[in-house]
Amino acid sequence: MSAIEPVAKPTQTGTTDAGLADGSSTDGGPDKRGRMIIQAAQVHKHYGAFHALRGVSAQFHAGEVTAIIGPSGSGKSTFLRTLNGLESHDGGEIRIDGVKLGTDTRALDVVRREVGMVFQNFNLFSHLSILRNITLAPMRVRGLTREAAETRALSLLERVGLRAQAAKYPVQLSGGQQQRVAIARALAMEPKVLLFDEPTSALDPEMVNEVLGVMRELADTGITMLVVTHEMGFAREVADRLVFFDQGQILEDTSPHAFFTSPAHERSRAFLSQVR
Amino acid sequence: MNWTRRHPVWVMTAAMLGLLLFLWGMALPLSLAPAPIGPAATQFAEGTRVTVALTVVAGVIGTVLGFLAGVGRLSKVRAVRWLSSFYVWLIRGTPLLLQILFVWLVVPTLLPGGIVLSDFACAVTALALNAGAYNAECVRAGILAVPPGQVEAARALGLSPLQIFQDIVFPQSLRVALPGLANNLASLVKDSSLAYAISVVELTMVGYRVQAESYQPVPVFLTSAVVYLILTTAFTTLTGALEQQMDRGTRRSEATA
Repeated sequence: MSAIEPVAKPTQTGTTDAGLADGSSTDGGPDKRGRMIIQAAQVHKHYGAFHALRGVSAQFHAGEVTAIIGPSGSGKSTFLRTLNGLESHDGGEIRIDGVKLGTDTRALDVVRREVGMVFQNFNLFSHLSILRNITLAPMRVRGLTREAAETRALSLLERVGLRAQAAKYPVQLSGGQQQRVAIARALAMEPKVLLFDEPTSALDPEMVNEVLGVMRELADTGITMLVVTHEMGFAREVADRLVFFDQGQILEDTSPHAFFTSPAHERSRAFLSQVR
Repeated sequence: MNWTRRHPVWVMTAAMLGLLLFLWGMALPLSLAPAPIGPAATQFAEGTRVTVALTVVAGVIGTVLGFLAGVGRLSKVRAVRWLSSFYVWLIRGTPLLLQILFVWLVVPTLLPGGIVLSDFACAVTALALNAGAYNAECVRAGILAVPPGQVEAARALGLSPLQIFQDIVFPQSLRVALPGLANNLASLVKDSSLAYAISVVELTMVGYRVQAESYQPVPVFLTSAVVYLILTTAFTTLTGALEQQMDRGTRRSEATA
């Protein structure tokens, strides 16, 4: 169980280009809870008659790695997508680092700069080179010069073990490589929070580990991560916290150890018996 | 990567200039041909220039119109959507010859006195409006073909709607829209011959006049046909090069990882 490609180990202190998280502790110790960074209170979401989120409340702290699991259609991806405004919520309140998410598009711009996202299907920009995929947003949104953006992009590619692929196009890369680029692309914006929406679900089995390896390294650097996943091994070993969704609600919000050894609800037990 | 793929814009510009130079110089070789072509060489050259001018000017305006109408058909504003759809419906549902005659005969009576449209301007207006409607469909199809995940990724990175359009949606839509747009441009070369109906002296009109004087339709119309073929071939080659350029990122070809 290790990353397939050697990933350059980020030095824990003094890196300027890696740009992970803010000043929260990076020693990866057992207690790395920082200040509260995401606050969701009684969030509701409807798709027509379907009630996708039924009053979801949760707080996430800086440096925390949370695995979000649950059966499909339980609302876990929808919840994740409301956190950066890709889906609007129609009830309740979401605050990202104190900024309230709502109809105000300016607040949305602020939030999207702080919250990065990695998608199930990678969604790399197919008409741009790998390097350009990573430099686009820092140049357009953060106003970096091309040189600065490329320096940052190359060091991030180095970290995910893909520096040699910088000039290629997404279609020339394997799924696992594309997902690692997508992680680098999200990191290039120096987000405070990184959302993963089933990052390994679209991958061939032999590519899952190389992506999980990168995420594992990332978790150790102290960035806040919310990971919707079906990888129970990852949830158990890497996450600090486990949130179990069922029918649009959070059924359990506990430690991975507690969840996997003694699930509190009948539904969680049924779910676990199916995925194991 | 070779030089052509790295500097496609320069290559295409050079090719376009080459085409124009060829058109301007074509009277010289033509004048060596036997009668009835030789004596009418300068007329043929002049007619060809008018044909190319009609095509290029109407093509450029038609492309701009096509983008406005194509984006308009997908607009969130209902009035814009309705107006764009009406334009496309109107133009695609009526004959081009009728549109040319309409612009030539009816539009001048609607314009305030003092503004006089030349025959050439009338032909360009009608051809551009016509090409615009057909281009709009290509542009619309191109935009609809951009996978939603591309836009989502851009939104998640904090790009503004305008940046998303200019950096992601527009370039990606071109890959799908361009073959259709190129096709329409090639059609425009041929459609411009209808301008002869409103006495614009383009290639078809020249051919018609020369055969009327010489009573030798076969060599005259053969010459016209060859010139049209050279023009359409040149335009499709140019747009083909452009497609090549836009195609980057869709093939795994050169040294897969």
